[in-house]
Amino acid sequence: MNFKHKYLFLLPGFLVLLGILIFPIGFTVRLSLSSWDSFFPGLDFIGLENYTRLFTDDPRFWEAFQRLSFMSVITVFLQYTIGFALAHMVWKEIKFQRFFRVLFLIPMMTTPVIMTVIWKTVFHESLGPVNFFFSLFGVTPLWLSSEALSKVTVIIVEVWQWTPFMFLLLLAGLLSLPKEPFLAASIDGAGPIRKFVYVTFPLMAPISIGAIIIRLIEASKIMDTVYVLTSGGPGTSSETSSFYIFIKGLREFQFGYSAALSLTYLIIMIISLTIIAKMLVKLMIRS
Amino acid sequence: MGTFYTTLKYTAVTIWSMFVIAPFLWALSTSFKDFNSVTSGATYIPWVDFEPTLEGWRVLLRSPAQGGVNIVEPYLNSIFVTCLASFISILLGTLAAYALSRYTFKAGFIKNDDITFFFISQRIMPPVVLAIPFFIMLGKLGLLDTLLGLVMVYVVLLMPIAVWIMVDFFNKVPVEIDETALIDGCNPIQAFFKVVLPNSIPGMVVAGLFCMIFGWTDFFFAFILTFTEVQLLPVAIVSLNSSITPWWSLSAAALVSVAPLIVVAFIVERYLSKGNLSGALK
Amino acid sequence: MKKMIKISTLTVTASLLAVAAQADKWSDQFPHIKNTGDIAGECSYESMSKKDYSGQKLTINTHAVPVIGEPTALHAEQFSKLTGAEVNVIHTPAGDLYSKAMVPFQAGQAPYDIVFGFSNFIRDWKQYLQPVPAKYVNMRQMQDVTQSHIDVNSWDGEMIQFPIDGDRHYLKYRKDVIDNPEYQAKYKAETGNELRVPQTWKEYGEMATFFNGWDWDNDGELEYGSAEVMKKDDLMFAAFFSRSVAYAKNPRVPGGYFFDLESMEPLINGPGFVEALTDWVEATKYVPPGGINFGLGDEINSFGGGQTLFSFSWDDAFVAAMQDDSPIKNKVGAAPLPGSDRVWNRSSGAWENEFNQAPYIVWGWTAAVAKASKNQDVAFDYLCFFANDANHQADIAIGRFGVNPFKKSDFVPELYVERQGWDPEIAKQYAETLMEMEEGSTNRVFPLRVPGVFQFNSAIATGTSKALAGQLSPQEALDEVAAEWKKIVKRIGADTVREAYAIGVALEDNL
Repeated sequence: MNFKHKYLFLLPGFLVLLGILIFPIGFTVRLSLSSWDSFFPGLDFIGLENYTRLFTDDPRFWEAFQRLSFMSVITVFLQYTIGFALAHMVWKEIKFQRFFRVLFLIPMMTTPVIMTVIWKTVFHESLGPVNFFFSLFGVTPLWLSSEALSKVTVIIVEVWQWTPFMFLLLLAGLLSLPKEPFLAASIDGAGPIRKFVYVTFPLMAPISIGAIIIRLIEASKIMDTVYVLTSGGPGTSSETSSFYIFIKGLREFQFGYSAALSLTYLIIMIISLTIIAKMLVKLMIRS
Repeated sequence: MGTFYTTLKYTAVTIWSMFVIAPFLWALSTSFKDFNSVTSGATYIPWVDFEPTLEGWRVLLRSPAQGGVNIVEPYLNSIFVTCLASFISILLGTLAAYALSRYTFKAGFIKNDDITFFFISQRIMPPVVLAIPFFIMLGKLGLLDTLLGLVMVYVVLLMPIAVWIMVDFFNKVPVEIDETALIDGCNPIQAFFKVVLPNSIPGMVVAGLFCMIFGWTDFFFAFILTFTEVQLLPVAIVSLNSSITPWWSLSAAALVSVAPLIVVAFIVERYLSKGNLSGALK
Repeated sequence: MKKMIKISTLTVTASLLAVAAQADKWSDQFPHIKNTGDIAGECSYESMSKKDYSGQKLTINTHAVPVIGEPTALHAEQFSKLTGAEVNVIHTPAGDLYSKAMVPFQAGQAPYDIVFGFSNFIRDWKQYLQPVPAKYVNMRQMQDVTQSHIDVNSWDGEMIQFPIDGDRHYLKYRKDVIDNPEYQAKYKAETGNELRVPQTWKEYGEMATFFNGWDWDNDGELEYGSAEVMKKDDLMFAAFFSRSVAYAKNPRVPGGYFFDLESMEPLINGPGFVEALTDWVEATKYVPPGGINFGLGDEINSFGGGQTLFSFSWDDAFVAAMQDDSPIKNKVGAAPLPGSDRVWNRSSGAWENEFNQAPYIVWGWTAAVAKASKNQDVAFDYLCFFANDANHQADIAIGRFGVNPFKKSDFVPELYVERQGWDPEIAKQYAETLMEMEEGSTNRVFPLRVPGVFQFNSAIATGTSKALAGQLSPQEALDEVAAEWKKIVKRIGADTVREAYAIGVALEDNL
């Protein structure tokens, strides 16, 4: 392999990314060391004060992080299992295969900012169709205004919106699986279940891991859903880290503090994802 | 066993289909409602439950002075920005992914996986804090409120996805294909374009779709970085969101903004089924 | 009071007669003002047509369509036709108005000549805004603006924001229930109390509970007690303050309502506020399902759609209810906010058992010109044109425009009867209630307008919503808020906050 070629392939993309990002990231780091505020905009230097504050005086951030972990793990898990099941079902022969495949892609193509407003109307406790249906049974679940249910509603919307993402990746993965292992398994007399467990699933491991990691990253940034549906309420029961960072940043304009929060979040996520990736590899690539 | 699984399959698929379609049907019905049809309880079927009106749709073609927002120009702007940014991201991202899949990089303790992870970790950062630096940066470059400025920002957002997905897909293309081409006398660049790329069409199509989706549906950066000259579709639609949420026009807008991507979905599905890799080796 | 209305009526009639000759010319070209024709003034259609701003450009950031967004765009079009200026308008949702303008301000850019927003942004924005020149302040059009609206748009005597709209919190109720003899009898029989416009928050709660959860207007749907803004967003704190003014604003104790002015100690966890929050937690029992997540839009949908007996925030719900196609048109009434039978005295540390009531002079929509704007003359002329008498009269008659009365000449009942088909009694009650709040009250609270105002508001919203959700008791919740406020004051600097707060307190104490 020629020395020059590898850089020829890598560098254009790498340099473009680095070039555009270097100022914003650098600025953010510098910002986190200042007390940029709505009233005092400007890069004064206060050292690690923001970080001290967030580690010693901000239980709300850590509670939000906990909630985030809880919700994103559940959402991604659901999206993965449902997505995989769906991909598997429309992989081979099925009537209206084309229709189903395209249909299942559509939810992720909606603009979250707009679609969540529609979901708000769907789950509206007094005027929405969901509660109309439930009222026939005499119950009025408080989808957006009860502590427990508000999280469930957010999860439902997220699953609706992003399962297609998993579905597509996994379907593409399934479609590119080589035929040989399956033929071999059939010759060995394996039934559909054994084929899945011992052939399909292990072969899909690399792409599964890739899909899960990227979904975890995206799920953690969940903002529009929480903002529109519940504003992090009732109280703070559906508040996530990204929502909290947003409020601190663009609502209260405590940009210095928000930068510190973001960088801390970034580092924690990188560490967690590396650990999770290693765990998944052990779990899945294990014949 | 066979029929049990088949029935199960069709039932599951049907249930999920209903779950997918339900909000769209609700949006369709709501797009024909007005204030009174919405505030007196849930209503469903036009003419039966409520008096339909085209107001929700007409608002999308009117000017703000008449109480609407004309979405035609934002629509076209969004198409341009999304397509261009996606194209550049796929181009640069695929090249970079190929390098990361085939070659070994080592700079100190930084290896391939780390570089790949660097790319994707750009997606982790919550966009909020990037508002001010990007604003300042585009301001200095004179790219605020321009289509190109947005394309530049979107390339940064979308390229990581392209890289992440294509690395996985390239890893699935057996190295033997490359080697065969090289033996046949091609240099690595020719090998890439002539042999490897045609076999990765499914991956590129998938990555392309994701880039287009994330570009088309972004609100945050379009909101912060544009004023009057350039308006993208999500920002235009959200400008209807006043104190009284206009359920009807937002529903119409949601349906209208999903339409082009459905067309893309059809194209993607076709390429998926065609480009089946399992026969590539021969 | 009556004298003022008489004088205003005379003024309006006089103006109308005086310009009868011009009414045709401009209202032909601009059907928007067909009811009044052009009304003479320095910023009338006639005056503007004499100006030539061709080649000049204005960029305006305003609220989404239609509330304020549509009139901004409409007047922009008219202004453009009259003066030749090019006017570009951008529409932004309410929650983002602050940040959309603030990011460029803080990054040192000036893409907008005019920014719309709420009055309580004023301290944070002041450094970037151009004060209104004296020539506009002295115009007859501006002298007509009520004093409290001039105050709310000014800082320390200097007018920074241009008055283009007015707003206030007042009580709205269903007349067809409260004035209904059958229900009055029923209420008296079952509770022993009079069914009347609630004078205190306790009465409000009792009546709302009584009328909660059954169909009292025979439309086949269940109705509920009250629709309030309880969603933890930017506006919930205003609803809380409206509820707490009666308990915590003691006319005999000057020197601060949110803070003690001298020490800058937060007063927010005092017994007055706790009492109000306790009431509010009770209220979660008589709001419609999902009411605890109602934003302003939901409240308007709810009360305006006939779902509740009471509501008490901004004008919009009342206006929505009085639209021509509303099922409850002419069935709603307006009254001052309920008061309370006792008020807390923080100096003596005890409750005083006296009836207390005070309006909360909530802000309305405001507009301001950026200091960095290169077209300040054009910008101020536009704003003046927006608020000129002809445009204003036309705007307040169109409910969805969101422009509400703020000039003394607006509080003339005949205007609403003739132009909007209101019942004369309702129009009279509306005009009197609003006028009384604007000009007549001697005990009032101004919104908190200090640096970092969003941080304080956000803390209140988080704390009170925890109480509403039952996660904390009212006292605990407000203690948490007070602790957070202390931290914010420390961060921003007690002197800085005090300097700003003193201005609001001066308005409250010197009446």
